[in-house]
Amino acid sequence: MQQEVILAMLAKEPSHGYELRARLRQALGPLGDAMNDGHVYVTLTRLEKAGLVTSEQAAGLPDRPDRKVYGLTPAGQERVTGWLAEVSWPKPDLAEFHLKLIAAAAAGLADPLTIVDAQRRELLRRLRDAQRVALGEPDGSAAGLLLEGIVLRLQADLRWLEACERNWTPRKDRS
Amino acid sequence: MSDTGASVLRARGLRKEYGQGEGLVRAVDEVDLDVASGETVAVMGPSGCGKSTLLHLLGGLDRPTGGELWLAGQRLDQMGERALARLRRGAVGFVFQAFHLMDELTAVENVELPALLAGQPARAARRRASALLDRVGLADRAAFLPSALSGGQRQRVAIARALVSEPAVVLADEPTGNLDSQATVEVLRLFEDLHEAGQTLIIVTHDSRIAATADRLISMRDGAFIDETRLTGGSTGNLGSLAGLT
Amino acid sequence: MGRIRLTGRLVRRDLRRRPGPALLLVLAITAATATLTLGLVLRGVTNQPYQQTRAATNGPDVVAQIAGSGPVRTGPPRGRHLSRHGPPASAPVAHAQIAAEARALTHAPGVSRYSGPFPVASAVVRARGLTADVEAEGRSLTPASVDQPKVTEGTWVSSGGIVLERTFAEALGVGVGDRVRLNGRPFRVAGIAVTAADLPYPNLCYYPGGSCMFDLPGPFASRNVGFAWVTEADARALASAQAPPSYVLDLKLKDPAAAPAFASAHGNRPTPTSPILIPWQAIQSSSGLLVQDEQSVISPGAWLAGLLAIASVAVLAGGRMAERTRRVGLLKAIGGTPETVAVVLLAENLVLALVAAAAGLAIGWLAGPLVASPGAALVGTPGAPAVTLPIVGLVVAMAVVVALASTLAPAIRAARTSTVSALATVSYHAGARSPRRRPRLIALSARLPVPLLLGLRLVARRPRRALLSTASVAVTATGIVAVLAFHATVRLKTVGLANGLNDPVVDRDEQMLLILTVVLVALTVLNAICAAWATVLDARHASALARALGASPQQVTAGIAAAQVLPAVPGALLGIPLGIGLFAVAAQGVGVVVPPVSWLAAAVLGTLAAVAVLAAIPARIGARRPVSPILQAETA
Repeated sequence: MQQEVILAMLAKEPSHGYELRARLRQALGPLGDAMNDGHVYVTLTRLEKAGLVTSEQAAGLPDRPDRKVYGLTPAGQERVTGWLAEVSWPKPDLAEFHLKLIAAAAAGLADPLTIVDAQRRELLRRLRDAQRVALGEPDGSAAGLLLEGIVLRLQADLRWLEACERNWTPRKDRS
Repeated sequence: MSDTGASVLRARGLRKEYGQGEGLVRAVDEVDLDVASGETVAVMGPSGCGKSTLLHLLGGLDRPTGGELWLAGQRLDQMGERALARLRRGAVGFVFQAFHLMDELTAVENVELPALLAGQPARAARRRASALLDRVGLADRAAFLPSALSGGQRQRVAIARALVSEPAVVLADEPTGNLDSQATVEVLRLFEDLHEAGQTLIIVTHDSRIAATADRLISMRDGAFIDETRLTGGSTGNLGSLAGLT
Repeated sequence: MGRIRLTGRLVRRDLRRRPGPALLLVLAITAATATLTLGLVLRGVTNQPYQQTRAATNGPDVVAQIAGSGPVRTGPPRGRHLSRHGPPASAPVAHAQIAAEARALTHAPGVSRYSGPFPVASAVVRARGLTADVEAEGRSLTPASVDQPKVTEGTWVSSGGIVLERTFAEALGVGVGDRVRLNGRPFRVAGIAVTAADLPYPNLCYYPGGSCMFDLPGPFASRNVGFAWVTEADARALASAQAPPSYVLDLKLKDPAAAPAFASAHGNRPTPTSPILIPWQAIQSSSGLLVQDEQSVISPGAWLAGLLAIASVAVLAGGRMAERTRRVGLLKAIGGTPETVAVVLLAENLVLALVAAAAGLAIGWLAGPLVASPGAALVGTPGAPAVTLPIVGLVVAMAVVVALASTLAPAIRAARTSTVSALATVSYHAGARSPRRRPRLIALSARLPVPLLLGLRLVARRPRRALLSTASVAVTATGIVAVLAFHATVRLKTVGLANGLNDPVVDRDEQMLLILTVVLVALTVLNAICAAWATVLDARHASALARALGASPQQVTAGIAAAQVLPAVPGALLGIPLGIGLFAVAAQGVGVVVPPVSWLAAAVLGTLAAVAVLAAIPARIGARRPVSPILQAETA
């Protein structure tokens, strides 16, 4: 689980560890079962160590990670903002993008549609580049095949982004 | 905004509405558009968003309910049917999703049709049609009927037909909608060639591969433009990382 | 049982959804069945009325005309020259000689009864401002045993009272009680009567050298002499020293069939004093001419109308096959077998054909008496019972055959088409088959101006429909040219009727021809509209595409009109020889009549213009429709 995701989850307001975990699970739906609960708390600890997150012990509750209340530091806030604006596309990590959208919407940090559009734009540019190079290759060359693969995966990702856009579009009343 | 002087097509407040009152449907809702000469513009959007309707309006196949439209220096929204027909002969070339070739005509006969309709002599039209078929790589199929051609070949014939009258702009409505990926690549190549040759193209598509060939990408939803992207200029990453190479 | 109910339900739903084409179909077949009914009804009206008149008036087997110097009322003129302006000069014949001749005839072997000799005075009648020649036969008040005319209105002759023959009375326009003047003497019209012993006014005869009794030069013989009866005293008073009366003797033979032999044995010699004997058969065939005329007009007319109806129905059926094919596919997809499909299609057309047959029979039944009245000269009218069972059977059979013939082939084809291809077919083409390719026509059309380019290519796509168009225009043109030929002959005939009276024969014929022409024209209009509509439907995609590629709506409209006119040209030209031939066959013996070239040119050009206009109407409607929906809907 990316650290940035946890940070973003805290952007709206501080929350308990277990609340955080619950929200993550809910956002991932059936895939939430694959999530490692412990991993969340480990990340939280690391973030605290890195100074991006503060923790507080609620009065009267035992000193356990899930009972602590975590909140963002200004540094953490900055990190979140930077992460939201990022468009780099590492290995296909659909879950991260998916959660990015949910976090942005929940915290009111950014319009998910804007994020989707920005990512689409970037992918389209990459598609254009890849396509140009691929068309330049002679038919049947090995490099051409690899480029075709890149193009097709970008295409698939773009289709998914379109679906995201459809999903995150607020329903307008049809006049 | 592009320089108006080199603008091939210009639309202001273009509208197309059906029905009235409760049942009013805005197929195209206050669209502004400028297309410069030699540009390729792609319009993307979910089905039913009105992009095909928009294309038909831009090509004079349909009359707008309101707004202004200029094509090749002439004002379309106030033109009569006869003038629109004349315009379609010379200034506009259409490429349709369903190809719309005449089944009983061979490839070259299909391609020369707009020229004949424009009143060109038969021989000149035939010469030009043959040259265009050659350009799209189908010179050896000139005497074939559409039923003997593959989907990609049929669309290439249709593109050749759209070019026969040296149009100011080629309008393509989902050109790869009925094509498999192999045929899509054929058409793609052709579009890139046309673009390089300086042909102005407006393409409506939901195929991102085709959209990626454009200089500008416009997103459309519910009849209105909601986003515009310049695709010229490279991307932020390198191709290697896309393949998993760091 | 369930299948029948299903079929019925499908047929009913189909008809309710698209009543237009069904109505056109019914109209087309009705026109044909009505004309056929009329033709058949007329055929039954041959010689019945003459026989009735003969029976009612005790008609003579032989009419003998003796002596007299005046123009005789029937038969060839004395002497070589025909003069219409006065009797040929000849010596008056003595009374004794007349009596002797009469006695010779009445005592001839084979004669069973006789009446007369009656004096006949030639006079000039003036009535209502009109003048005409008349022959007044003097009769007694007691009925004669042979040839006692039947009084249909008023009473028999009296002193100062004249009885007019019915057709003559109609031509003059006088009725019982009117006042007329004969040779200046006033008479009161006492009654109107019919006789079997003479021809109806104006004694027209179309067949020179044939069964006509006249031997006058020229293609037509006409003696515009009317006929009336007065008292014997009045008849002698009307005659004068310059125009002594002739005498008429009515003979009844023991063997009526031997009348022609009797006539040639005892008279008709070329000497000036020979009596003229006219057998009743000659009178019958000549008096039947009126009705025969009508028959000769109606029968071919009925055939023409029938052919046109078949053509219309075929075009309609072909046009409807468009939507059929997809519906066939749907029917099959929901489980109908090929037989079911064919049955539904045929059942629908059968129902419509039967409705049309009933309508046509009704029209023919109602119009029959009007059309087939045998002329005022004869007693009796065909009346309603003329629509006999055989006629009903024939008309229904014709309607059924027409409906089946034009839908059988497409129905079978539709039933045999596989479901998948049926469902997939309909996108571009309204026809069940994809269009034909004619490379030479395509190459030729490329050199033509745009409307002709479009028109020729449209024609080339559907050669069979073009052939059908040619055939139906040929049928119409044939009818029109035949009518023109008739009018050309009428011109020649009416030269003699200078006294302003109507020629009832010509009137009647013209009435018939008017009706026929109206029916033909109506059917042609129907046909042209059906054909144009079918073309517009079939060419919907092609014309939308043409407009998308730069053809203006005007060019497309002109193209579709051209597509109708191009096959019509050979049809119209073909109609000229066919029409002349038809008239020559129908009006037997007249020979080949060629109408004036200007008329023919007008007919051809008029037909073509009508076809073009009728095609342009649906074409224009189609060409104004927005292009986008058509092109967007047609996705492969």
